Order: sequence, then structure tokens, then C-alpha cells
Amino acid sequence: MVQAAKASNLQELSVLVKGFSGKVSFIAGGTDLIIALQQGARPDLIIDISSMDDLNFIEIDAEEVCIAAATPLSKLAQHRGLAAKLPLLTQAAMQVGSVQIRNRATIGGNIASAVPGGDLLPALKCLGCRIEILRRDNTVTSHDFDEVVTGLGKTCLGNGDMITTIRIPLRFGRNRISAFGKIGRRRELTIARLNLAVLADYETDANRINDIRIVAGAIGPVPLRLRLVEKRLRGRNVNQAFVDDFLHSLIAAVDAAISGRASQAYKRIAIMGLGLDLMQNLFEKEFSCPEKPKALT
Amino acid sequence: MNDMAQQDACISAKMLNLSVPATRASLKFQVNGVEYQHNPQATETLAQFLRDTLGLTGAKLGCGEGECGACTVLLDNQPVNSCLMLAYQAEGRQITTIEGLIKADGTLSPLQQAFVDHGAIQCGYCTPGMVMAGEGLLRKNPDPSDADIRQALAGNICRCTGFLNIIKAVKSAASTATAVAPE
Repeated sequence: MVQAAKASNLQELSVLVKGFSGKVSFIAGGTDLIIALQQGARPDLIIDISSMDDLNFIEIDAEEVCIAAATPLSKLAQHRGLAAKLPLLTQAAMQVGSVQIRNRATIGGNIASAVPGGDLLPALKCLGCRIEILRRDNTVTSHDFDEVVTGLGKTCLGNGDMITTIRIPLRFGRNRISAFGKIGRRRELTIARLNLAVLADYETDANRINDIRIVAGAIGPVPLRLRLVEKRLRGRNVNQAFVDDFLHSLIAAVDAAISGRASQAYKRIAIMGLGLDLMQNLFEKEFSCPEKPKALT
Repeated sequence: MNDMAQQDACISAKMLNLSVPATRASLKFQVNGVEYQHNPQATETLAQFLRDTLGLTGAKLGCGEGECGACTVLLDNQPVNSCLMLAYQAEGRQITTIEGLIKADGTLSPLQQAFVDHGAIQCGYCTPGMVMAGEGLLRKNPDPSDADIRQALAGNICRCTGFLNIIKAVKSAASTATAVAPE
């Protein structure tokens, strides 16, 4: 027997969760939960959190952006302050699903579902977000992205635990630039086959990358930070050789991440095109694509 | 009512006491400006409620997972997939379906008429969803660009007419549309 309830604020929610011993599912956008229900998932209690004002807001100060977990992606995609401060997140949010999906799906739901193609995930990891969780015992814990998203559809969330807040620091070097890109089977409304988020500290006058963070999604169960690629690029001037090196090291990263998988042959080539687009967006310059690597034998 | 909802118990009044006064046996829904009372089962979707309980079969059930857009309705003037929302989540919100666009005198809305005029309908299965996605766009942005229209309709799949006449229909209706602020 599935029961349903609605909470109108966090206080009500914690009373509701604390007093219930069975399995609890939270529903905000429902874009993942309803499909799970159709496939036979049976929580004992579903709690609707989609009309809670204290779980639906975006706040920006000098240090960080704070986003409540049940904020719909359409709000993220349309928020002007967010676009000014964190265009990476705006771009990622705009590429999720369709208008209908974005009107319902939420940032917290994207994290809690932990699907490999989740578009916000590489962006959030790249931005170094902290995730706050309201535990069933009414304590609040704060975590790095990797502590929360631990595997394919797996998170550190226990029964009755809920993501409440995502905090994203704004400090990253002096001149931060960023880009997000995605490849799917069609342009809109598609689960990403590959996505890539890049955040860099770029010294324009010296044309030099002081620092860079690169996170790839959908080449493993969780978003993957490409530290070896970052290391090769840090401190370098931006030119065609830099871009060539970036693209070749992306291929090496795909080969290392999904060696032997059926998708490897496609993804190692596709990531070059995605990487090239990203570099052109990032530096607003044209670069050429190096020769394609030889097919895998 | 499908099997999924039938297996589940009704929402217990006790569980709902926190947000709904205990005296209310069922929830209130606003659909096309009419108030309905209904006690939905926990896992009943909005699409099931509209189609099976209210008999509003304009919104179609296609894929059931948010890919095809055939079930699109407006929730407080914003397009949503009614297959991906639980009925009880819509309590107290304004739902508009294709049946709600028709004018009081029985004539079609400007957007519906534009679909007819531009031959933007073939088998018709996707049409209610397409019209509602277009209606949602025009209520928010009465003067959309072609790119805006394409983006707004990206969540709706048509497998027979192709999309050009549909885009033309939305474009022509745009000239007569006026914005409605989201509630």
C-alpha cells in the first residue's frame, strides 16, 4: 500500500519523515520517480515537496550561489543573476530535456537520481558544489559532490534523507571562463551520450590558462574529473597546439574510462568534436580539428 | 484507471492532515476553470485523473515517460507532461487541457484554428500536446522567434505531418496572442 502526503515547509516535512518508519520517496518534478513507479518501485509513503517555498529559491551573494533543491530547471535556465555568475550551470540546465521536463524537473532530483547522463552533474562537480542533506534524524550534513553521488543511480542518501541545498562557490581565479557541451542522439530532449564541463582561470593579456577543471559525464557511472588532462593544460598558452593536446588527451581519457565497452569506438571520436566546440566557445576563437584517431582494432 | 493505481490504497486522510484540513474528504482540483473534487490514489498520475476520471481524453498517453509530449497540459500556464506528475500534486493548481481552449460559443481558439488553417494535423494523436505546448509558449511570449517556437515544441514528437506546418501555425497564431503572466 502506497500512501501519499504533502509537506508545505521543511518543518512539516521533518515531522512527517520522523514519524514514519517505512520507505519514503520524495516527489518534486517526478520525472524519474514516476517512471520508477511504473517499473514497479513501491515506496510506503510518497511525500510531495513540489510546492514548498523553502525548497524553491536561488540566492546569490559575493561568495556563493545557494540553490534550494526543489528549484525547477526552468527557473535555473531563466535566472539572469545565475546566467551572469554561473553561465556553466545555466547552459547545463537549458540542455536538460524539453520545456515540459524543465518546468518540473529539479536540481536536487537530478543529483538524487544520479543517472550517468544527468546534465547538471558534470557542471555541479566542475563548479565544486557543496550539497546539504536533511537527515531523517533532523540533522543537516554537508558534502562534496563525490560523497553524495557514489555510483550508477547510487547516492549517500539513506531512507528519509533529503537534499535541501546546493551551494556553489564563486571564487575560481581572477578571470573565470566556462563552457558546457553535450552530445545526444538528437539535439533536444535527449539523454546525454557524452557531456563535458570546463571551468578555467584564463589570463587574457598573457593568453594563458592559470587553472582549469574539466569534468566529463556519461563515460562512467559518475561524472569523471579529467585530472591528467587538466595537468597537461595548466600554465599553457592557448593556441592550436594546446587545443590539439587537449583533444588527444580527451581521447586518452575516454579510452581509459570505458576501455573495451561497445561505446568506446564512438565516444573516443565524438569527444573530439565536443571538445573542439567547447574550446571555441571558451576562447571565442576558431580552431581546427586534428586528424581523427585511427579506428580501434 | 490502470493497474498501477488500482493496486494502491487511497491517500490516507491521516497522512494528509498536515496540509489538508481533515474535514475535507477529497482534494479540490481546478481544471479548465471548473472545480472538481476527487480522492486520487497515491500513484495515480495527472494524465490518468484527467482521462479516466474526468473523461478529458484530449491529452493523450503516448510514451508515459516524458519523451513524446502527447500528454502536455498547462499547470498554472506552464506546459508540463501530465504523465509525469501525480494527480495529488496538482491540488490547488490551475490545470488547462485542450478542452479548455475552446471558446464559450464553441469556436476554436486562435491557435487551434491556426492548426486547422495550416494543415498542421494529420493523424491528430500529437495535436493536443502540440497545441498545449504552443499555447504555453504564446502565453509567456506572444511574439516568439522561429527558434523560440522550435525550442518550445522540442518536447513534442509528431510522426506524420513533419513539423514545418506546426511551426507555421504557432507563428501565425502568435500575431493574435497576448501574454498571460504565470501564476
